[in-house]
Amino acid sequence: MIMSRLRRVLAPLLLVLFLVVTGCAASEPSRWDEAQQQTSGETAVSEEATSGGQFNQFFPEGGGGYDRVFTQEKDGFAQASLKQDGAEVALLSISDTTGNPQAAQKFAQSSSNIGGYPSVQVGSTQTAILVGDRYQVKVVSKDDSFTDGDRQAWLEKFDLSGLSQL
Amino acid sequence: MAKSIYELVDDLPKRNITVMSLRSLDFIIPGQWENIVGFEDTIRHVTGETDEGLIQAVGERAIALYNDKSEGYQTAMWLYQTVDRMDGAIASAALANMVGEKIKLLGFLNKLTPNSEKLQALDLGIKTVVELVAFCKINGIPGDSIGDFARALADYEGVSLMRMAALVCFDGLIPLGPNFIDSVQNKLAATSPSDLDNNPAFQTVGKEIPASGSEGRLSFIKESFNSVAGWMGNFVNSKNLTREKVAKHLQQFVDVSDDKLDYLAAFLDMSTNYFEHTGTQTLARRLIERAMAEI
Repeated sequence: MIMSRLRRVLAPLLLVLFLVVTGCAASEPSRWDEAQQQTSGETAVSEEATSGGQFNQFFPEGGGGYDRVFTQEKDGFAQASLKQDGAEVALLSISDTTGNPQAAQKFAQSSSNIGGYPSVQVGSTQTAILVGDRYQVKVVSKDDSFTDGDRQAWLEKFDLSGLSQL
Repeated sequence: MAKSIYELVDDLPKRNITVMSLRSLDFIIPGQWENIVGFEDTIRHVTGETDEGLIQAVGERAIALYNDKSEGYQTAMWLYQTVDRMDGAIASAALANMVGEKIKLLGFLNKLTPNSEKLQALDLGIKTVVELVAFCKINGIPGDSIGDFARALADYEGVSLMRMAALVCFDGLIPLGPNFIDSVQNKLAATSPSDLDNNPAFQTVGKEIPASGSEGRLSFIKESFNSVAGWMGNFVNSKNLTREKVAKHLQQFVDVSDDKLDYLAAFLDMSTNYFEHTGTQTLARRLIERAMAEI
């Protein structure tokens, strides 16, 4: 008797609790909400940015067992995939930091250089240099076999002096 | 209001008929497609990084790039979504037409419903163009570069290759049979600009086809399909694909009790959105690769 009354009271209570919990979960803030609000309807690339097609000429050629395949060409950005035996081992890119100043700021504290340009390590897979205080050249490892040393060597294969005169 | 990129990637299902159908094609391109869902998990997967600050920076840049309409990502997403949502309407008409052929009582439907093969051919042609235009929008190649796209197909891998495999199997081989490439080319040759104007998918996505007028757009569809026909034929031959082989693998995942493959094709059309699902994954991957390079 008591049990059945308890069940009658408990069932709607649990239902309300369930709805409250799931309702809250649906409106839980996301770590991306702020970025979404700040960038809605905004431009992400400066009108002054160099077109990506102009960067292609400064990329290193493939060869030596590597294939270079261009993958993206946008305003202020060009990217190529570096493949070995058909598998992607690294991503090579040049980007214009005009309009994206944070990308250039990280080089201010740089104490190292590659090819005469300030360099930084980003995370555990990326090495970048800043050419002419404007163009970021980056190599990202996509396979464990592609080491920090490989990234540095491939950065030096870019036509950096050509890029600096762009 | 349109959804944000992180909501779209977060909303991708881990398991549904679309996912099961795509998994059934793993035998063709083993290990090429992994169903990575969720914005954060996609960033972790693409970057290989675990540092929360770095993941946040990559995600924020990706969101900013996606939100800039002039960057083309939103149009590409819309194309992938829209061409899939059209399938329901096309499939209903195609199904009604097949029922019309089998059940005499409904034979009059033939007068109202376009030939299902013709619809399938147009559907495949329009999807091919959508893939081409979305590829150009995402990767920044001028939108009328049919040649660039055809060359880039050779380097398709991962989720993009899976989408093309599904296009070949679900929209070509199963509904139209082993000679689907010739069949589509013949049907497209017999298609008039007014046929195109009456096609529901074209009515919606047509404006994004980089040519002027229905006649110009029809030529663009034909030219695009012809440029990928070689790749498709080679894909089918090199993988020894047959309707029966693909259907057998689908039957492990999708409960189709007999081998009425026209019905299977219509069922897939109505119950899956593989273009939208894999298109979202392709777009997110490229966006994150760019964001990672730009931060």
